[in-house]
Amino acid sequence: MALPPPDPQFVLRGTSAAVHTLHFSCGGQEPDVPVLFSGSENGLIHVWNLKTHRVDTALDGHGRKSVYCVETMGGKNRLLSQGRDQRICLWDLAEGRTAVMDSVFMENVGFCRCSLLMVAQGRWLMAMAAKALEEVQVLELPSKTSVCTLKPEAGAKLGMPMCLKLWQLSGGSQPLLLAGYEDGSVVLWNLSMGKALSQLACHQEPVMSLDFDSEKAKGISGSSEKVLSIWSLNEQQNLQVYKTHNLVNAGISDITIRPDKKIVATAGWDHRIRIFGWKKLKPLAVLDYHTATVHCVSFSNHKNPRERLLAAGSKDHRISIWSIYTQT
Amino acid sequence: MAVFDTPRDAFGALRPACVQLTRVQTAENVCRLAARLAAVSGPALQELQEYVLFPLRFALRAPGPRRERVVESAVRCITSVLAATAVRRPELLQELLSELCACLSPGPAAPAEDVKLAVIEALRTLLHSASGDVIVCLYQPRTLPLLGCAVSLLLRLAERERAKQLKVSALNCLQVLVLQCECQEHQPLGDDEAQRCGDLFASFLPGISISLSRVVTGDIKQGHKPAVAAIRLFYLIVGLVMADAQLARVPKSKEKLPEKQSRISELIIHRGPDWSKSTAENLSVLLSKMVEFSSVHPHWKVRLELVELVHHLLRNCSCSLASSFTHLLKALVGLVNDESSEVQSRCNEVLQGIAEQRIIAQSRALADVLSENLHSLATALPRLMSSQDDTGKVSTLSLLLGYLKLLGPKINVVLNSTSHLCRLSKALMQVLELDVTDVKIVEDRRWGCEGSLQPGAQKGRCQRKYFRFFTEEKVFQLLQQVCRVLGYYGNLYLLVDHFMGLYSESTMYRKQAAMVLNELIAGAAGVGVDVLQEREVSPSMDDLKGSITSILDEYTDQANWYLITSIDTEEVSHEQHPVHHAGLPARPGGMCSTILLPSPELHATTRTMNSNIWQMCIQLEGVGCFAAVLGMEFRLLLLTALYPVLEKAGDKTLLISEAALGTLADMSEACGYGSVRRLINDNSDYLVNGISLGLRQLAQQPRASRVLDTMLRHSDASLLPLVEDVIQDVLSTLDQCYNSQASTFLGVLHSLMSALVQWFGSSCSEEQQQQSTECQGRTSSPRPQAVTTRDMEQFFLNYIRQKQIAEGDVPDSEDEEADEAPPLAKPEPNNCETEAAAPLPSHAQLAKDVLGRCIHLLSDRSLHVRLKVLDVLELCVTVLHPHRNHLLPMAHRVWPALVTRLISDDPLAVLRAFKVLCTLAQKCGDFLKPRFSRDVLPKLTSSLLSQAPASARAGPVYTHTLAFKVQLAVLQGLGSLCEKLDMGRSDLNEVADACLIYLSAKQPRKLQEAAQSVFLHLMAVDPDWTWLLLTETCCPHGYEPPHTSLHPVKLGGMGRQRNELTDNVLLLLERLRQRESGAQEPPP
Repeated sequence: MALPPPDPQFVLRGTSAAVHTLHFSCGGQEPDVPVLFSGSENGLIHVWNLKTHRVDTALDGHGRKSVYCVETMGGKNRLLSQGRDQRICLWDLAEGRTAVMDSVFMENVGFCRCSLLMVAQGRWLMAMAAKALEEVQVLELPSKTSVCTLKPEAGAKLGMPMCLKLWQLSGGSQPLLLAGYEDGSVVLWNLSMGKALSQLACHQEPVMSLDFDSEKAKGISGSSEKVLSIWSLNEQQNLQVYKTHNLVNAGISDITIRPDKKIVATAGWDHRIRIFGWKKLKPLAVLDYHTATVHCVSFSNHKNPRERLLAAGSKDHRISIWSIYTQT
Repeated sequence: MAVFDTPRDAFGALRPACVQLTRVQTAENVCRLAARLAAVSGPALQELQEYVLFPLRFALRAPGPRRERVVESAVRCITSVLAATAVRRPELLQELLSELCACLSPGPAAPAEDVKLAVIEALRTLLHSASGDVIVCLYQPRTLPLLGCAVSLLLRLAERERAKQLKVSALNCLQVLVLQCECQEHQPLGDDEAQRCGDLFASFLPGISISLSRVVTGDIKQGHKPAVAAIRLFYLIVGLVMADAQLARVPKSKEKLPEKQSRISELIIHRGPDWSKSTAENLSVLLSKMVEFSSVHPHWKVRLELVELVHHLLRNCSCSLASSFTHLLKALVGLVNDESSEVQSRCNEVLQGIAEQRIIAQSRALADVLSENLHSLATALPRLMSSQDDTGKVSTLSLLLGYLKLLGPKINVVLNSTSHLCRLSKALMQVLELDVTDVKIVEDRRWGCEGSLQPGAQKGRCQRKYFRFFTEEKVFQLLQQVCRVLGYYGNLYLLVDHFMGLYSESTMYRKQAAMVLNELIAGAAGVGVDVLQEREVSPSMDDLKGSITSILDEYTDQANWYLITSIDTEEVSHEQHPVHHAGLPARPGGMCSTILLPSPELHATTRTMNSNIWQMCIQLEGVGCFAAVLGMEFRLLLLTALYPVLEKAGDKTLLISEAALGTLADMSEACGYGSVRRLINDNSDYLVNGISLGLRQLAQQPRASRVLDTMLRHSDASLLPLVEDVIQDVLSTLDQCYNSQASTFLGVLHSLMSALVQWFGSSCSEEQQQQSTECQGRTSSPRPQAVTTRDMEQFFLNYIRQKQIAEGDVPDSEDEEADEAPPLAKPEPNNCETEAAAPLPSHAQLAKDVLGRCIHLLSDRSLHVRLKVLDVLELCVTVLHPHRNHLLPMAHRVWPALVTRLISDDPLAVLRAFKVLCTLAQKCGDFLKPRFSRDVLPKLTSSLLSQAPASARAGPVYTHTLAFKVQLAVLQGLGSLCEKLDMGRSDLNEVADACLIYLSAKQPRKLQEAAQSVFLHLMAVDPDWTWLLLTETCCPHGYEPPHTSLHPVKLGGMGRQRNELTDNVLLLLERLRQRESGAQEPPP
């Protein structure tokens, strides 16, 4: 008989609003405390100290509008956050500062999370939904210069972009973008040429989230239906469906592949977090704690594998922290 | 006094006397010379020294039988001459020495004691009068026989003589002879001289040491002085001959002496390694004897001298005499606790000195000796602890402590040896064994919620423990010190590891190991540890934290933290589930006290439970101690430590909960929170996390709820947002398991609601008061001050109108109920409007949620649960009552279940339900009126009526029955109910009818009083009607109509015989009259 599913290691309370996004920053050296950033519906970004399990600071930069994406740029002192006030803010958090250094105004009103990719030291690319309905814009940060705008062919009827993932082969200079669209298809874009390399209809419903493993050239996407879709990218840069996995309950709001590419976690509308083996998508565990939709899941990047964590943020205002490394 | 200053004058004066003495050796002549001498000045005498001495020496040497008086006086005279002069010729010194010694020589005609004393004095003076270079000449190999003779004579005296003084002076003299005099005249010996003397004295060492040891161990009656002198001499001579410094310089081979002294050279000893080894062995035997004897010598000066002995030898001969230190150190360490403070302080000084000079640290041999001692003591410790009396135990343990302290940083050498560590730890385990037979500890329970924290009431002091092998507190303190010293010097990781091993090895050792671990950590941090020398490196905060974290993890591990400490493990609901404890022969309540012959099995369980309780306490104390050690650093550990401690603070066993509260106090102090309240408040997020996770597992639910309970009790309203969060968890968990865990959760809900009442009670009661004053205003204001005819007319008109209505002029009586509610809710219209718009405050929302659950549970199968629900219900109503819009619908929903409780349930439940009803009526007002009069009142009155005969007949025991209590409660509550609900006339009639019979003098006193109270309330509702009712029963006087046109008043009670009701009715009428006092007359 299988072991009963574990309890969360800890539950962070006190955001007093639904949690939409989470991001770990545990890579620092010893005196640096590992932290977790959480963005919540009330527009605050909380910085959780993972030693004391308490909020160190709360950043308020989105005019009380929901924050739905938080990323660090390099260390934990540079932060990018995206909010429903149509702004993407760049924060300077060094030495206890809490200042917004710069911000980008998004003309898109959707809730597509932006995607960030470091292309060189101190240079990032950021993909975000553009003003026009179906377009994606790629900017270079911190200069904010536009790199390209990705327009689907006329008559493609993809709908709005729902989720984005910038990636590049290790050392490869060619950054690529994977975008999930409202009509359920995933498209691979070449940034330099600005054209779609491949398109794959994965879902009947809008793609809610996707993640991609560039080593295995394999990706996974979830939508509002009961299906997880795994697709692969062949040498001809063509996307093809590799496998689908049926779920009991519909609706996936977030998918994350663990940095070591061994397991995948999904955040479900059914209040549950599901853990799969990444290789064969073998179901490993169902983590049942939350009492409302889980909005996001995130893996920590701690140096010591034993201290790596999984965090999930939910509509029930709680962030559950799980230690699944020691158990899987 | 000196008359003759020049040698010439002096010579003139002395010559006759000298000549005379030379001719005839009599005492008189000697005396004459002595008299003359007195008049001669020192310098002059110096010139004539030998001249004067000649006749005297002649007198001593005179042939023929010795005449004691002559000898004595001559010796005294010599002494006086020598005292005034200095001996400048080595030959003279030697001659005098041998002549004087000759006087002492034993033989058939041994001299009298006085003579001996005089001779010894003379010897001493002689040695002192010899100037530095002269005296050095005495200590040459060729004078060895002479010296030997003197030494042996003196020793003989010291050993054989009876007179105390003689012994002492012989010893003192000997001390001078071996150049160890303490007077200032002698210059200290140079290194070479000392070396030479050492060589010489080595020849005497065996004789001297044996004799002296005999003196020391001789008859106690000889007094302390000889013993002291002997000990001193012993260590001086041994310290000289066996000095490490000297032995180190001894050449490999023996020096060749000139040919003619070959015989003497045989006497000279070569202090080579072989010699020193064998001598050390011999000395060791002697020393052990001496130490053994003098360490228990009744006189403290002897013991003090012993300390000096150890000190001196340790300083000078730590290598050469290493083997003797077993005894010496034992003596020294043992004397730390001497009864004499002088000895104690000196002993401490010496120990301190030893430690400071790092004698032990530098000498492997000594460390070995000490560790050997330690080992054997540790081996013997358990036996000693069980056989010795308390003082013996104290001394044994102080010995142990002393060894450890002396070892200081060298402890690690000992600890690294497995056998040593095992011995020591096992000894500690056995000695620290607790006495776990006390039944009371298991029995003592914490009841109710009085365990709340009085600020600063209890500092985390340890509970008094009872040990199997000792009772004295001092013994425990010593053991504590032993552990702390270990922790202070020892390798923390090694020790913690070892004792953790013991901790998990066997339940036998678990308590002791935990105790030791606690003390180790305290010691490692240097808390309350008393040592002789500072350690070189103190462990870093990280080391401490590492060790503490691992211990803490072990302590709070499920297997070690959740122990069975009582039979009624979690629940009080055992009444309903006796099945759970089917294996146990008795109910917990009467478990130990009422059973006369406890079965062996039960006995064993009591024992284990007691043991578990102690283990819990020790672990909790440990947590407190760790907090104290880490200080603010402990804040990080609160994440894991606070929840388990709080769990225990809610434990039903008194001892555990007390210990946990103490730990909480310690923690709050260590972490810089002013109070436990703040500790809990500031860390409530950790607790809530633990609770919410605990609630997820069925087995942990009771504990989680207990923590919540404790948390609620010890915190304040600021906690509400978090509490709200977790209560939602509780409620959802409750929803999943109404059957099994209801009782547990009701406990939590109860404490939640009491907390809410407490936190928000002021706001509730304010409004309540406001309401009640309003209420009073309403009832009292329309009452006119005086009755006029117009009023009377109005009264009748009203009456007729009312009567018509009552007879059915109002078409639909059923609508009345619905119609009534809105106008009655009007008194606070503003309140209602704002409330409808504004969301319910969170505490009220909580109360509402809880109330919702209560409705379901009201009809639970278990009486216990029902009773609890009723309690919670009452509190919910109290919290919710300022929000009528929410309360009334809830009241409506509660009603059917409540009615069932009131009319068809166990009397206990009825009692409780009635209380709830009263509260509800108070809060809801006449919203309940129709329901009450329809559903409940008939049942109540009928039960009152049916019970009345029973209570009237009953004896005094009746007042202890449940039936009585129900009657009483109903009667006490009914009055105010009627008033609060503003009951209608017919209901009032019903009430009055039921209560009237309780006014009977036959009823128990209390019931009569309660019934009176009902009528007093009725008076408040409708005084006139009450008056009429009462006078129908009994009317003391008649009433004249004010006008002839009116009929004479005819009342039912007029002219009745005095009966059982009369007294009470008259009393009530009197109260009514007072109430309606003033100008107002009773209505016609």
